[in-house]
Amino acid sequence: MTAKWIEQITGSFEDKKRWRQYKARKEQLPASYRTAIDGLERYFMYAGAIVKGDVLMQMLDDLADLIEQSAADGTPIRAIVGDDPVEFAETFIANYSDGQWVNKERKRLTDAIDQAAGDA
Amino acid sequence: MSKQMTEMLKGTLEGVVLAILTVQPAYGYEITARLREQGFSDIVEGTIYALLVRIEQRGLVDVAKVPSEKGPPRKVYSLNVSGGQYLEEFWKSWSFLAERIELLRHHIDHPNGKGQKP
Repeated sequence: MTAKWIEQITGSFEDKKRWRQYKARKEQLPASYRTAIDGLERYFMYAGAIVKGDVLMQMLDDLADLIEQSAADGTPIRAIVGDDPVEFAETFIANYSDGQWVNKERKRLTDAIDQAAGDA
Repeated sequence: MSKQMTEMLKGTLEGVVLAILTVQPAYGYEITARLREQGFSDIVEGTIYALLVRIEQRGLVDVAKVPSEKGPPRKVYSLNVSGGQYLEEFWKSWSFLAERIELLRHHIDHPNGKGQKP
């Protein structure tokens, strides 16, 4: 009960734990893979516009899975992200659109049109 | 890969990956490797992975974590019942689309009847 009240102010403890684990995973990566994951993470944070902490952490955990596995297999960075890293990043982000702020606006638009078309 | 090819593949890659999984369960890298063998030479690992995340979220595949000799455990994906139904739907849509587009091409190549369906 108290914990829940505190989390209202501080944010979820669970998400913070996952964030620390994610940072620790990055530390273990070879330098070039770490550079790549840092770049992707930065882009995800800006372009993802994800407001839900758990969705954001799921996205970063999935990213870490991919990069860790690729590092273990020795997959070259270019073979992971391709010629157009932005394209890859956008495809990746699309999976987590449920957590995006713009989702509220999508629903608002859908509702407005439903109402206008008399479907509501 | 040309921009046009990338765009066209986008809509079909999901079905293609599910089709590969009907043969046998596989992990991400195996799927990419098999696609490359079959001529999709510029397919990148990340795109396939992002797609696997999506089909997992939509419940079309089952996922098992299998330990690997090197590095972290691998996620092995297998097609489940919903995935099978989705794939069937995909092939229907594909046949329809392929047939209609071919028809359109013949219609343009032979505007005076040849190659057209009555």
